[in-house]
Amino acid sequence: MNFLVGAFKQPCNISIKFVDGDTRKQAPLKKENGQTVMVPLFQSQENIAGEVCLEPVVGKKVEHNGVKIELLGQIELYFDRGNFYDFTSLVRELDVPGDIYERKTYPFEFSTVEMPYESYNGVNVRLRYILKVTISRSYVSNIVEYQDFVVRNYTPLPTINNSIKMEVGIEDCLHIEFEYGKSKYHLKDVIIGKIYFLLVRIKIKNMELEIRRRESTGSGPNTYVETETLAKFELMDGAPVRGESIPIRLFLSPYDLTPTYRNINNKFSVKYYLNLVLVDEEDRRYFKQQEITVYRLQEDS
Amino acid sequence: MISSDGIEDEEKWLAEGIAGLQQNAFHMHRSLVPIPKPNPNFVRLNFNSRFLDFQFVVVLLKDSNNLRDALKYSAQMLSELRTSRLSPHKYYDLYMRAFDELRKLEMFFKEETKRGCSIIDLYELVQHAGNILPRLYLLCTVGSVYIKSKEAPAKDVLKDLVEMCRGVQHPVRGLFLRSYLSQVSRDKLPDIGSEYEGCYSACEFILFGDPELRPAIGLSGLQGPAREKEKREKERSELRDLVGKNLHVLSQIEGIDLDMYKDTVLPRILEQVVNCKDELAQYYLMDCIIQVFPDEYHLQTLETLLGACPQLQPTVDIKTVLSQLMERLSNYAASSAEVLPEFLQVEAFAKLSNAIGKVIEAQVDMPVVGSISLYVSLLTFTLRVHPDRLDYVDQVLGACVKKLSGKAKIEDSKATKQIVALLSAPLEKYNDIGIALKLSNYPRVMDHLDNGTNKVMAVVIIQSIMKNNSCISTAEKVEALFELIKGLIKDLDGTPVDELDEEDFKEEQNSVGRLIYMFYNDDPEEMLKIISVVRKHILTGGPTRLAFTVPPLIFSALKLVRRLQGQDGDVIGEDMPATPKKIFQLLHQTIEALLSVPAPELALKLYLQCAEAANDCDLELVAYEFFTQAFILYEEEVADSKAQVTAIHLIIGTLQRMNIFGVENRDTLTHKATGYSAKLLKKPDQCRAVYACSHLFWVDDQDGVKDGERVLLCLKRALRIANAAQQMANVTRGSSGSVALFVEILNKYLYFFEKGNPQITSSVIQGLIELITTEMQSENSTPDPSADAFFSSTLRYIQFQKQKGGVMGEKYEAIKA
Amino acid sequence: MVLVLALGDLHIPHRAADLPAKFKSMLVPGKIQHIICTGNLCIKEVHDYLKSLCPDMHVTRGEFDEDTRYPETKTLTIGQFKLGLCHGHQVIPWGDLDSLAMLQRQLDVDILVTGHTHQFKAYKHEGGVVINPGSATGAYSSITYDVNPSFVLMDIDGLRVVVYVYELIDGEVKVDKIDFKKTATTHATH
Repeated sequence: MNFLVGAFKQPCNISIKFVDGDTRKQAPLKKENGQTVMVPLFQSQENIAGEVCLEPVVGKKVEHNGVKIELLGQIELYFDRGNFYDFTSLVRELDVPGDIYERKTYPFEFSTVEMPYESYNGVNVRLRYILKVTISRSYVSNIVEYQDFVVRNYTPLPTINNSIKMEVGIEDCLHIEFEYGKSKYHLKDVIIGKIYFLLVRIKIKNMELEIRRRESTGSGPNTYVETETLAKFELMDGAPVRGESIPIRLFLSPYDLTPTYRNINNKFSVKYYLNLVLVDEEDRRYFKQQEITVYRLQEDS
Repeated sequence: MISSDGIEDEEKWLAEGIAGLQQNAFHMHRSLVPIPKPNPNFVRLNFNSRFLDFQFVVVLLKDSNNLRDALKYSAQMLSELRTSRLSPHKYYDLYMRAFDELRKLEMFFKEETKRGCSIIDLYELVQHAGNILPRLYLLCTVGSVYIKSKEAPAKDVLKDLVEMCRGVQHPVRGLFLRSYLSQVSRDKLPDIGSEYEGCYSACEFILFGDPELRPAIGLSGLQGPAREKEKREKERSELRDLVGKNLHVLSQIEGIDLDMYKDTVLPRILEQVVNCKDELAQYYLMDCIIQVFPDEYHLQTLETLLGACPQLQPTVDIKTVLSQLMERLSNYAASSAEVLPEFLQVEAFAKLSNAIGKVIEAQVDMPVVGSISLYVSLLTFTLRVHPDRLDYVDQVLGACVKKLSGKAKIEDSKATKQIVALLSAPLEKYNDIGIALKLSNYPRVMDHLDNGTNKVMAVVIIQSIMKNNSCISTAEKVEALFELIKGLIKDLDGTPVDELDEEDFKEEQNSVGRLIYMFYNDDPEEMLKIISVVRKHILTGGPTRLAFTVPPLIFSALKLVRRLQGQDGDVIGEDMPATPKKIFQLLHQTIEALLSVPAPELALKLYLQCAEAANDCDLELVAYEFFTQAFILYEEEVADSKAQVTAIHLIIGTLQRMNIFGVENRDTLTHKATGYSAKLLKKPDQCRAVYACSHLFWVDDQDGVKDGERVLLCLKRALRIANAAQQMANVTRGSSGSVALFVEILNKYLYFFEKGNPQITSSVIQGLIELITTEMQSENSTPDPSADAFFSSTLRYIQFQKQKGGVMGEKYEAIKA
Repeated sequence: MVLVLALGDLHIPHRAADLPAKFKSMLVPGKIQHIICTGNLCIKEVHDYLKSLCPDMHVTRGEFDEDTRYPETKTLTIGQFKLGLCHGHQVIPWGDLDSLAMLQRQLDVDILVTGHTHQFKAYKHEGGVVINPGSATGAYSSITYDVNPSFVLMDIDGLRVVVYVYELIDGEVKVDKIDFKKTATTHATH
């Protein structure tokens, strides 16, 4: 359908504008063609209002069976390409069937729209929000225009945020205790922590902290899991001795993180892990992975 | 081959590292330039713009790119420092290059903050670097700017930097990083009262000096080929310098006064040292503490410092640490007399002595050499600081004896060396053997030396006495001294003598001989006691030693005899021990001992010396006895013809000087002497001895014997022998022998002629001259230039005497020559 | 100018521990061209020490010398002077000038150096000189009482010799000087 839209010159231009288009915050969105564009940014429960402008090619008449605007929340699974699951679908009829000879504008408004999920562009899954304007026609294809927008939802500071503390080791070989200050981090947060070496009998070369993103899509036997390492942060260089403690301070802001998504519409999850890796002189790796929760902090909180 | 390749590789790696560093530094420089180099984009904007504001925006924009680039390239540059392939030495080269570049970066950061870039943001920004080493170098660099900006308390920033630096545990890289930190923050360290409001306890800063120590030295225990080990050792020592540097920085912080050091700094460091539990790290740390902090601090914190010692790992080389501490304190004490009261006040000796005792007790496995060297250090300390406290010195020696007790002789050469050092120290210090003789434990320490070293030590003692010309003045001291040097005096435990080097043995025994001349007391009684003690000891030496030690004893006694001369006679108290008579008895018995050697010639000479001394003391019988002994030896023991000649000369020479003998005794002795003379093997020797005997009958002083007839008899006898000698020469060589003997006898004639011997007339002389002249002119005479010259000079002498005129001239006139 | 050190009768270690320190400090290597030693050193160490002062060393045998290879007498020529060396125990009566003169004639020398009596002496005699440098250590002597350590330094220059006598008296070194000029007539012509 899109393919056709792109292939032929449309008899009518459709443009979608938001009422607060000039002032509203924008967010980058990566398009299918790889380009990043800036699109308006919304959060759940916001009013989404604006106007649609139809502009027929000069001297042409557009016959139609009605004009509508839809707000769609879609989940697209790449391994199941072409299938969208619309978890949100709102429609506003803009015009009754008739002809359009000249430029015509229609205001629209979706008020307090429930948008529970954030826009997401993952490895195997995409969650997106679009406004879709359709000029329905008989005998010929409909004229359709899309406008993407991004949704981000904010979370207040969690009331409970326990530290992660754990003692791990290999018997008679390596015993460490690590501590991360919190278990929940916002996107611009800093991971503060410490690693204590209780017993070191192997020659450690270095130690890294990795941030890993685990995206799982599908369910049951059709579950696809994709793990990406987003950050490799060297914590220690050289071999510590017993009793040593090594500080951790990792700023999250340089990394392209999203909040943790748990079982979004039964379709996918995105989880984050801190992976502590110790490498010995023979390049053997010893690691311990701990899940952390990432959230988007309400700006004013 | 492998090792040289290794070096080449290292050169290559260094070159690569430098190249990488320079390349990134180049890019970094470009981004540090405040106004960026014109690039097409920028130029276009610049020229198309009519608005200055716009240009400003562009510059700002470019600047932020610059910052990003600067960070990117500097991080890449610093990545070169992540190498593990370079030795610390080469690494240092690389580091210094990076260091220079970082100074530029620091300037840039400073500029950035002036242009409105938040230092806090910058401080965060550099921490985004993924690799720890570049990250921390950048952090330290920004941190230095941060401190200067005063946007946060210096102490907080420093604390943070120090803490973060713990992440680098690699010995070399960590050390250089901390070195960098200490260097960039040196001028910002929170000295008390500085503008950085340094309530920050400076000793916290030590913490940063701590973690690198362990890994630095933690390389120990790695098993590897020797070459590897060697390399590690080298690295370690290079690292040690750096560790020292860091502690040194700490020590130079002016804010650390004694109280702070005592209450905070030292306890904190020691806590770290004790906790680190790595033997080498502990050693180096202790060493560093001792080296970098001032001596007066050590003195005032002695208890704390020493208290840590027993808590260290049992294998720590604590003796070196303590030795160095004591060495420093000794030097400190030597630096000024004013500091000495401090030592007394803190009871330094007691504390050190105590600590050493504890360490030795705690480190059961410490080899003997270790404990002894500790005592050496303590002794050195004591001698420098408390030279007046001999009891301390003896106490140290006593502790050493205690440690050695139950052990046999020390065989370990190193331990032996230390004992020698221990024993030599008091000698060197006091330059007075008397001091050593007062130390009751001194000989007990010596007893632990093996026989060879014991002797060496004895020689050292003797040399010390000689060098200082120390006089040993009582029999008691001499007795003590002989106890010390007994290794030289007699065979210890029956050491076989044949294993000794003859030269060494001679030298040792001669040194004992010399030593005897260092014993002296003005009081003859005490002197006699001394001589008796010496005699007692040297007579235990056995035949090999007596020949060396008896003569000095004899002459020492003869010197005493001479002092007593004239005091003799019936002074009140017949039992007065120090009389020449008594000494002569002693001498007699002592010389007798030489017969066991056997050394008859030496004994003969000594008898003659005694005889002459007895003569001077008017002891005729004693003198006669000595002569008798000499004659017996001559007859029975002196077989060598050359030795006989010498002996005869000495007998005649001595006898000639004797003036106490009555006629009978004298006749006996002179008769014997002339008899011996005529029986010498070679005719010329016979001849000379016989004419020498003539002097026995004509002593040219007032009361002397003047028996002209017997003189003439001697000379005639000499002539006969000379004649016989010449005939013998005729028989054996077919030519007449030299006339030298005749000329000699002629001279004797002239001698007695001048002395007024009536038997020697001018005609006799005249005849002799003619005889010689004829002899010389005879056809078969052997030309002898020296005899000719002798004769000529004799004739010249006659002429000379004639020309002199006077009585003698007239006398000579009768001789025609 | 040639410096000749003459000494003897050290009797180390039989009668003395060592040379006086004051003498040792005066006798430095490299200043002296010849050493003539009358004997009774008595041991190798002393020989080696003297040799270290000047390698050109001439020794005659004293009765207590352990080294029996030293000759009884020795003559040598230094510059215009002929020197004779002998310990002196062979010349009886000991120390007797007339007997020594006989030895001087026998050796046909300008300067005769002997020892044995431990008493410093220097005579001009028959146009020659007879010197006894005494005992360098002040060793005990049966012949001489109160021996002061002494030695002789001869400065030989052409026909002239200046004899310096160094004597240690009560810890002080006293120097005496005797000048001697050789006349042409005494020069041996044969």
